[in-house]
Amino acid sequence: MVLCIIALPVFAILGIFSLKYRKLAKDSLECIFKTATFKKCESGLDDRIKSSISGIFMRFSPKAAGAVYKNYKIISWIILAVFIWSIYGASAGIYNYIQYGNCNGPSDTGFCLLDPTGAHSGISALEDNSSAIPVLPALEANDPIIGNKNAELTIIEFGCYACPYTKKAEPIVKEVLDYYEGKVNLQFKTMIIPRHNMSYQAALSAECAIEQGKYLEYHNLLFEEQESLSHLEFEYLAEKAGMNVSKFMACLNSEKYKQEVENDTSQGYAARVSGTPTFFISGQRITGPKPFRTFKTIINEELKK
Amino acid sequence: MIFSHDAVKIRKDFPMLSKPLIYFDNACMSLKPKQVIDKMNEYYNDYTACAGRSSHRLAGKVEEEVDKSRMELAYFVNSKSASEIIFTRNTTEGINLVANSIEWKRGDEVVISDKEHNSNLIPWLKLGKKGVKAVVVKSNADNTFNLDNFIKSLSKKTKLVSMVYTSNLDGVSNPMKDIARIAHEKNALVLCDAAQAVPSMEIDVKGLDVDFLAFSGHKMLGPTGTGVLYGKKEILEKMEQFIVGGETVIDSTYSRYTAEELPMKFEAGLQDYAGIIGLGEACRYLKKVGMKKISKHETKLNRIITERLMKHKNISLIGPADYEKRNGIFSFNIKGMNPHNVSKVLESSKSIMTRSGAHCVHSWFNDRKIDGSARASVYFYNTEEEATVFADEVEKIVKAFN
Repeated sequence: MVLCIIALPVFAILGIFSLKYRKLAKDSLECIFKTATFKKCESGLDDRIKSSISGIFMRFSPKAAGAVYKNYKIISWIILAVFIWSIYGASAGIYNYIQYGNCNGPSDTGFCLLDPTGAHSGISALEDNSSAIPVLPALEANDPIIGNKNAELTIIEFGCYACPYTKKAEPIVKEVLDYYEGKVNLQFKTMIIPRHNMSYQAALSAECAIEQGKYLEYHNLLFEEQESLSHLEFEYLAEKAGMNVSKFMACLNSEKYKQEVENDTSQGYAARVSGTPTFFISGQRITGPKPFRTFKTIINEELKK
Repeated sequence: MIFSHDAVKIRKDFPMLSKPLIYFDNACMSLKPKQVIDKMNEYYNDYTACAGRSSHRLAGKVEEEVDKSRMELAYFVNSKSASEIIFTRNTTEGINLVANSIEWKRGDEVVISDKEHNSNLIPWLKLGKKGVKAVVVKSNADNTFNLDNFIKSLSKKTKLVSMVYTSNLDGVSNPMKDIARIAHEKNALVLCDAAQAVPSMEIDVKGLDVDFLAFSGHKMLGPTGTGVLYGKKEILEKMEQFIVGGETVIDSTYSRYTAEELPMKFEAGLQDYAGIIGLGEACRYLKKVGMKKISKHETKLNRIITERLMKHKNISLIGPADYEKRNGIFSFNIKGMNPHNVSKVLESSKSIMTRSGAHCVHSWFNDRKIDGSARASVYFYNTEEEATVFADEVEKIVKAFN
């Protein structure tokens, strides 16, 4: 009876395409029904499966075949448990993918069969700091806010101007802020990713833009020109953003906001950020450039609170 | 005996034997040689038409081929005349024809053995509604025929003795000649169910002196849905028609009809011409191989299987231990295992096709409260190697699964 429980959905699906499996699905159903009502399973499907499997083992080892035959019930229960667990895992994976863009949830960047290219899970990874106890990041008065300052909810983003995944998340972030205009804003904290050239310098330059009130313009320009970041480029972008270039360059060259940038990075480490981009919406975490629906699900939950 | 060089040549004639399998379900269905298949295709490709109705040359050709088949079958069972050969769909239909065409009186008795196929049991049980009683002859402990019990079962009321020749349950052949002689002494008619005998031994209806002999084409290399009822002409002529309609009458008005002569009198409706022609070809093929050789070869293979497997106390055999008494059938059970499971394991492990269950002899199994058996049945195209592989696999099951 045990394997009939597994066989029924499998054969029922295959039965859509083939008459042979329709008959087997019917046998499975009969077997389950008869056993549940304490009657003899006349179709013998369970026995047929048992014998077929044992026969296959016979080709390689009669001893193994005998063991399978004799312990079939125990093996069946194990297979059933694995089957149920797999169904649960697959359902949870599908649910997570639909809700969060990754089979394993919003904060996971592991492999997802439904997202084989990792489009929603790419991050610029940091060194493993998983042993630390996470400390949720806090809003900082001196860091600028993107969006309505009086919004109910603030997303804290740990990003890097030189990180391609952070750049990939930018249009999604804009879509979120537009959709929740007035209700949700964002504070961008820079994480220094050592393997990205110009990660630290770009972060410093953005801090210098705050000084001149041109943060948002400059922030957007940095992402637009991510592939060509250099000192010369910072100078050019500062000019393009309408800043006093000499003042901007003096600020940048003096590493005036080194402490600010290091503080942001430290906060990221403290929060156990595994890579950029990572978003915190109240207590919930989104890792990687997850799709809009992921943000929507979590924001809606938080706004209801 | 079929020598290995013959076997290789023979096996090439059977398209199914080119597949990686060991076919040991011959008591249920034999494989078909390409000669039979080609002969059937010849009808469909070259002269598809009705026999006995139209007058064009194609119809004439069909009639000629059907007549040739009829003569071939008459020759095959050694009947006096081709008109004693009635084409049916199978053995079951042949037996039903007899059951429905004999004039029965309330109180008449039909004597049968205790291991009849449902084909030779149910028609007689059905006659119970007309007051006809089926008397069952109990076999010996080893399932061989008990002649004393048979003699005791006969009485003045015995109208018919309907007996299996070779049992599909265990391969045991009954002493049909003695049965017919004793039955005739009591003025009873004799019907022989030869479905399992005709494919494996020389049949001589004159020598056996049976009144009827029914068999199927599908067990003797012939097409499915073909069969024959042999009947003594003088008896068939007196019998009522069974299924009537097209081809069974010479003439009809709105109120009466004149029945056809033999054999058409019993062959209602359009016949399976391709099947009948194919069946004739099957007879030619079997004759060419030789029925004595076939019988010896089956016994030789059964010897290999029996001698190997009867050593195991966990294997129980249905029928006598002597392989020579069981033709090509080895019907068995493995202690602690359902026979269906045994067959399935054999199929899964080495693609050995055997049959499992009650083999349509439910009455025998029910009487003994046995679920059924696994049955290996060999034929002349099977090899000694196949018999050895089968024995090896069964031995492995016995050792590993108990």
